[in-house]
Order: sequence, then C-alpha cells, then structure tokens
Amino acid sequence: MASVALTHLDPASRAAARGWSDLTIRNMFIIPTLAFLIVFNIFPLIYSLGYSFTNFAANRSEPWQFVGLQNYRELLSDDHIWSNFVTTAKYVIVSVTGQMIVGFGLALLLNRSFPMKGLITTLLLLPMMMSAAVVGLFWQLLYSPSWGPINYVFGLGDFAWLSNPDSALYAVAITDIWMWSPFVMLLSLAGLSAVPQHLYEAAAIDRAGWWYTFTRITLPLVSPILLIALIFRTMEAFKTFDIAYTMTTQPTAELIAIRLYKQAFQQWDTGKSCALAYIVLIMVLAITNLYVKYLNKVKER
Amino acid sequence: MTQIELRGIEKFFGAVQVIHNLNLAIADNEFIVLLGQSGCGKTTTLRAIAGLETIDQGDILIDGKAVQHLRAADRDIAMVFQSFSLYPHMTVFENIAFPLRATRMGSGEVDKSVREVARVLRITDLLGKKPSALSGGDMQRVAIGRALVRRPKAMLMDEPIGALDAKLREEMRAEIKRLHVKQGSTTIYVTHDQIEAMSLADRIVIMHEGFIQQVGTPDEVYSHPANLFVAQFVGSPVMNVADAAVAGKASFASVIVGDATTGFEFPSALLSKLNGHAGGQLALGIRPEGVLIRRDAADGFMAVETQIVEPLGSFDIVDLKVGSKMLRARTKSGFVSGPGEKVFARIDPTQAHFFDKASGKSLEVRL
Repeated sequence: MASVALTHLDPASRAAARGWSDLTIRNMFIIPTLAFLIVFNIFPLIYSLGYSFTNFAANRSEPWQFVGLQNYRELLSDDHIWSNFVTTAKYVIVSVTGQMIVGFGLALLLNRSFPMKGLITTLLLLPMMMSAAVVGLFWQLLYSPSWGPINYVFGLGDFAWLSNPDSALYAVAITDIWMWSPFVMLLSLAGLSAVPQHLYEAAAIDRAGWWYTFTRITLPLVSPILLIALIFRTMEAFKTFDIAYTMTTQPTAELIAIRLYKQAFQQWDTGKSCALAYIVLIMVLAITNLYVKYLNKVKER
Repeated sequence: MTQIELRGIEKFFGAVQVIHNLNLAIADNEFIVLLGQSGCGKTTTLRAIAGLETIDQGDILIDGKAVQHLRAADRDIAMVFQSFSLYPHMTVFENIAFPLRATRMGSGEVDKSVREVARVLRITDLLGKKPSALSGGDMQRVAIGRALVRRPKAMLMDEPIGALDAKLREEMRAEIKRLHVKQGSTTIYVTHDQIEAMSLADRIVIMHEGFIQQVGTPDEVYSHPANLFVAQFVGSPVMNVADAAVAGKASFASVIVGDATTGFEFPSALLSKLNGHAGGQLALGIRPEGVLIRRDAADGFMAVETQIVEPLGSFDIVDLKVGSKMLRARTKSGFVSGPGEKVFARIDPTQAHFFDKASGKSLEVRL
C-alpha cells in the first residue's frame, strides 16, 4: 500500500480545509468496504465451515453436537444429491454453450459500423440488466401451454414446457441463454474490436478467405477474452437458483442450488446444507481453476 | 512480368478530394517510389492499388487487366505495412507460411518455400520465434519474407522502414535494394523520406496535395526539378529559393537576389532563355553546393558576410548574407571559422534553376 503514489490534495480544497490528509480520505473509502466484507462475507464463510461439521439446525433451540465428517459422508453417498449434480452439469453445459454461441455470433454481427449501432447494442444488452426473478416469471408466461406466445409462434399446440419432466430443464436453460448471451456478446465485442484492423488487411493481401481469416486470426486473438466470458458464465450457471426456482418445480430441473435451498430452509438441516455448500464451492473452484490454467496457456501464445 | 498502369484515378474522402486525376505507368521490374509529405495521397494511392481502398474514378490495370473492382485477394500483389502487421500469435515460420497455407499449398512445398525465403533474408534461426521476441529490423525482414514468399506479381511497400531507428533504417534500405536487384519484382514503395527515395528508386513520383508533381529518375528529380515544390522537397540541405531580378550588362547578365545591391554574374545567354520572365515574377533556386565561395576576391565573385555555420562532419553549411536574404552554401569542413567572416561568393550558373513565381513551374533554363 505504501508504494501507491497518491496525488496530493489541492490545498485550496474543502477537504484540506477540514484538516483531512490524503490518507484520511483513502481510509474513508476503504475501511467501510472492508468492514462490510468481513461482517457479511468472510465471517459467515468461516462460521458456516464450522457448522458443516455439526448437526446444527437453525429453527431448533436444542443444543447441537459436533458430528465430524458425517455430513460430508452422507451427502457424497446420497444418490439424490448426485442426480442434482448431473442435472446441474447438463444445465451448465447447455446454457453456457448456448450463451457462448449466441453471444459471440451477435458480437460478430455487431463488429462493423452500421446505422444505429449504439442503440441496437444497448437494446440487446437489456435482458442482462433485468432481475432474474422477473425474467423467470415472464418466461413462465411466455412458455404457458394454453396461451403462451412461444407455443403460438412455433405452432406447438399445448406443449407444457415447464411441467414436462423432459423439457423443463432445457426451457430454463433457454431462458438463461436469452438473459446472459448479451454478457458474452459484450465481452466478445471488446475482444473483437481489440484485433487491429491492419491484421485483417494483411490477411486480405495474403489472399486468406473469410473462414481462414476467422479461424486463424479472429478466433485465436479473441480466445483469451472468450475464455474469461466462459469462466464467468460457468460459475454463474453452476449456482443458478432464481430463474429455475421461479420457473419450474419439476424434479428433473432441480439444480444443486435449489436442492441446497430446500435442505437449508425447508428441511432446516443447517449443518448438512453448510457441508453441501462447501462441496459446491470446491467444485466451482476446481472448474474455474482448470479454466484459469488454460487461459494462462492461451495468453502465453 | 508485371506492368501496372494507373489511369485517371480520382479519390474522395467525403467531400475532400485526396487524389486528382492520377496517371502513371510502371514498367516490369521497376522500383517506383511515391514520395511526399503526410497527407499527399501517396499511401491512399498505394492502398488503392492493393485493393484496400476503393477509387471513385479511373482504372487500375495490372498487366493490362482492369482490377479496380477486384478484391485485394484476387489481385495477386503483396504488401509490406509500416506497422509490419505480423500475426502476433504465430511464429515467424507460420507468419511467412500464412499466404501459402491460405491458398491451400501442400505442407512440403510450404516448408521448402518458407526456408528458401528465410535463407535469402537471413532469418532462418528466427523461424521458431514469436514476433514479440524480434527486434524491429527482424520484424521487417519477416514482413518482407511474408510478402516475397508467394512470388507476387508486384510488391507494395508502405513506409516499410519508417518505424525503425536511423541506423537500422540505413541497413534495411540497403537490404531492400539488394533484394530488389536479386529477386527483381515490380515494386511500389511509399515514403516521406527523400533520401530513401533517392537511394532506392528507379523512378520517383513526387506527390503533393493529391497531384503528381514530377515523375523521373532520382537524378532528373534532383537536377531538374519541375517546380518549386519538388525543388525544395528533394535534396538535403534544402535548395535556396529567392526572388530574383535579371538585368542585362555589357558582357554578362546580372541576377540580383532579393533586395541586394549587386547581382551575381551569369552568362548573357540567360536573358534569351528566360523568354521575357525578367523581373518581378522570377524565383532563383540554387542548391547549397551550387553556391561557390572563396576567401580572396576574384572575377565574378561578390563579397558577402558569413552568418551561422552548421558543421555536419563531412561538410559545413554556411549562411551568407546577401542583401536581407540568406543564401546557404556548402563548404569543406572548417572552411569558414564562424559568423562575421568576409568571403567571396558566386552562383554556379549550370546549377541554377529559374522558376515562374506565380505558377511555381520551372522555366527549364539550362546554362
């Protein structure tokens, strides 16, 4: 911290008149944030790690006992939990793949100049800015079997997207793709516009066709930023709760986060759900770690 | 065997016309340099030939075939960019191989061609490196290699050594010349550096504000500039240009520079060759080496006073005060020790140029 060069206060400023130093001002910004983080993030994180080794239940007043690794052992041998993980994996793969394809595709289309580009880009970003619960509720209406616009447009009769065990998970994934493709698009656009124009000119002179230019120049040069988008979206998709919870009650669409919620706040099995949360955390960490390793390799090239 | 011809090229950027009725015929194997200040349209012309820029009027012919509607990829020309434009994620080998692989050449043949070009450019030991690990000169060699490897119909170079430092620039200049002599391909080279242009070109095309000012060999352009712009743009140190008046005397013609009281002696033949452009609208141009000075008085020499002396190592540039004007002369190093010295000067009539002040055009007086 000491090495950070601070700009000195303008002696005529109001802050200086109050006798504040640069350091005081810096602390005024940093200390509240740190305090907030410690109280609401770090403390619960450590505390819940403690709970995960107990049979504590938040709705009962009787004393809890230390049970060692029992919670973890039970969870990892529970078939029900594993099927939740499989569901989550399917969901992550479908929704993240969809977002990457749609998002990058949109970015390719937007990466040129045309009239009203700014407006169109902003409009395309809107889904991302909505509340997930609201998106879930709206898409529930869109998917409605009897009068939903989706069945009407595609002529699917009264197909029950969200109450059909085979389609519920994918219906939620489609909604997630709709909501989060703009995020991938935004990052991809930044990546695409960072590719210098003169490389495309050189490729044109070198007689490279569109596809050759795309696979040999565009893709390799934007891949680091695409990977970052992939990391973010995988992490987020892994812990999806709100959209899925508001849209469907199908057990085939029960993601791990929903399972966790039910265990914690419907069965009030607090200790065990803390253990489950830690298992999820370790899995997400492992996956992102893989990505980050690969990202570093890509960046080295 | 590639001839390139430009016929009546016009180019607008919005309402601004950047190229005016440009006509140029480039012979096979010729090294043509487009020379001019930034914004003169030279790079735009080059990019139009390459196919990276459209033209609004006129024809671009490569081997007699109009190509202005073809895409860059279909014109079979190579280009070296000022920014090098190497593909940063590929090795040197992959960079040079790119134009071959892009047209689906077999890998054995690619390997052979790349190694051959690398040998010519002496970059064989760099083939496995990434562009970011190369020096500026090596990057430029790779960029040239990428252009040479597919034996294009023509090579276009856009200030290829402009981004290098002075010493490297001189080295690469010699190397480009060596390559051209050895490989021999029609080359169009853009630069703002007249020394580069003089040393490389078979013919120089001098451009200014979208117009061609003069086309000629380096010697023609230097010794017989077509107008005041060319006269002052080509050559370093810059040519002296001053308003002049010519008066006939008994046995010679007297050229009075600016408001000087006495004139320089010229042969009487000057009067007839000026065709009546005697006074008022006349400008005299003389390169510093055309101003002869000596220490003792002699016939035809005029007494002048030295002002600033710029020692440049192999020679000195001395400012001489003639009336209220300065005339820069080139002397042996140390010939004049400093300001305020009295020396005697005359102008070498064979090296003098006369221009019409109104149009800037040379009057083509050769004495």
